[in-house]
Amino acid sequence: MHPILADARKLLWYVLAWLLAGIGIAALLRLTEQAEWSGALWFALPICLVWSFVALSSYYVCRSLPYSQRRWPVALGLFGGASLLSALAWLGLGEAWDSMGRLVSHDKPFVAMTSPGWVMYFAAGFVLYLLSLLAHDVLVAFESVQAAARREAESRVLARDAELQMLRTQINPHFLFNSLNSISALTGFDPAAAREMTVDLAQFFRRTLALAERERITLGEEVVLCEHFLAIEKRRFGAKLKTELRIAANATDCLLPPMTLQPLLENAIKHGIRQVDGGGTITVDALVRDGWLHIAVVNPVAADEVPASGHGVGLKNIRERLAVLYGARARIAWQRSETQFAIEINLPADKEVIE
Amino acid sequence: MSAIPPLRALIVDDEELARHLIREYLQGHADIEIVGECENGLDAVRQIGALTPDLVFLDIQMPRLTGLEVLELTGRRAGVIFTTAYDEHAIKAFELHAVDYLLKPFSKARFDDALARARALHAPASPAPALDALIARKTAPLERILIRDREQVHVIAIDQVECIEAQGDYLAIHADGKCHLKPQRISEIEEQLDSTRFLRVHRSFIISLAHLQAIERPGPDRHAARLRSGKRVPISRSGYEKLRTLV
Repeated sequence: MHPILADARKLLWYVLAWLLAGIGIAALLRLTEQAEWSGALWFALPICLVWSFVALSSYYVCRSLPYSQRRWPVALGLFGGASLLSALAWLGLGEAWDSMGRLVSHDKPFVAMTSPGWVMYFAAGFVLYLLSLLAHDVLVAFESVQAAARREAESRVLARDAELQMLRTQINPHFLFNSLNSISALTGFDPAAAREMTVDLAQFFRRTLALAERERITLGEEVVLCEHFLAIEKRRFGAKLKTELRIAANATDCLLPPMTLQPLLENAIKHGIRQVDGGGTITVDALVRDGWLHIAVVNPVAADEVPASGHGVGLKNIRERLAVLYGARARIAWQRSETQFAIEINLPADKEVIE
Repeated sequence: MSAIPPLRALIVDDEELARHLIREYLQGHADIEIVGECENGLDAVRQIGALTPDLVFLDIQMPRLTGLEVLELTGRRAGVIFTTAYDEHAIKAFELHAVDYLLKPFSKARFDDALARARALHAPASPAPALDALIARKTAPLERILIRDREQVHVIAIDQVECIEAQGDYLAIHADGKCHLKPQRISEIEEQLDSTRFLRVHRSFIISLAHLQAIERPGPDRHAARLRSGKRVPISRSGYEKLRTLV
């Protein structure tokens, strides 16, 4: 939509400006003795009113030639040509309207212009359209500056959101405080276990902080991180949580974004093991086949579970992260049956190049 | 010296170590007797009903049912000490309604403090109106509806609900071809539901927009909603206006 047409107040001022131009043309006609005042006004004002809308087209002429792709000869040609064409149409409209004057006022035209008069009128049409083009050009430039500023602000917000998200996955407060509570309980009757759990917790956070800074880490590094995480969770959930990690030897040095496997295990515990009476076993399989790294996590779920709130947000986050890093080359799929949840990630099996 | 009967306490937490810690902290208090432990919300609902403990240590984040849902189902309003590791919503609500709670991990001193407060409140058996308000304004919008049917607890996902009908002091909740009764007012549940997914079309009917199939006109100036299951629900004049702006 045209920015002037979209705003009633702008449109009013715009039309007023054109009517003022109409009075200017009428005054010119009077001063050069081409017409009487009344005839000149009858002639010029309606034409300017109509032309104010025609001249709005110059917005689209300006938009067709963005600043970044502009060369002077092209711009000059386009603006000059457009002004010339519109001035011809303006001349035609003037002559037609002038002859209409015969119908309304005593069988004579509004103005009785001589040839130099029409030339002057034609030139005025040319200049007015050119002015309109230039004014619109400024408007378009102003708009694009505003749009660029808005886009920049938006991308800043997005970047900060991503950063916050990353921090939150690194330090899940629920996990941290519950672990500390478990350590607090253990100190009373099993100080050695309390110490081990403290070390696991420290190792987990230390590794998380170190790995999160890197764009990609090896699966082996991610697995070590996950083992610390699982050691802590096993203390919290006791016999309810059992795990089976089957990582093929050729998969351990494959590269993947940090914190890809860990959130899957966290989900498997939170939405799976914890909800099932008596718990169960989480299995992780990782292997390389035909240049692809396959990672699959399977866990039991409670058949009748109705999630209390926001389910699947974490999975969507992982999918978005992989899409940003790999585009269409990463695949993530999950499936829930009555008794189990399975998720599989396929990534290109990239390995570190040692120089 | 007259012997005061001990306070009977129930510990509810899905982590064994967390329950162990509370047991240990309670050892120094001779006037408290532990009558049971539960490791999920459903179990807690059963045990609170069966044992009627004087005091419940209640974890918020639990499998099956949350601590607040346990209270909603059991109608219990007094003698509760909440424990939580981290729950922004719950903590905000506790602060707002001046309900005491223990943040894990907590010290022995903080625990004794909460216990002393609970004892003082226990003396005059007064229900805490604060908890009523707390449960009523649970984290909206509602994602599941809980119904207690004698010893059974039904948990209904909100997507399954096709319509809710007021029947006297009860709500008839129609979901999955079944009808469940729950003692609640229709205006109360209306406030908790997501207003973009549910609409009060009549004084005594709320419908799910996802289950709406067609609007019928059985007579001049009368409208009815036909739901996917084939069920028909009357629409009042103002309900029709609301529905027209939405659909």
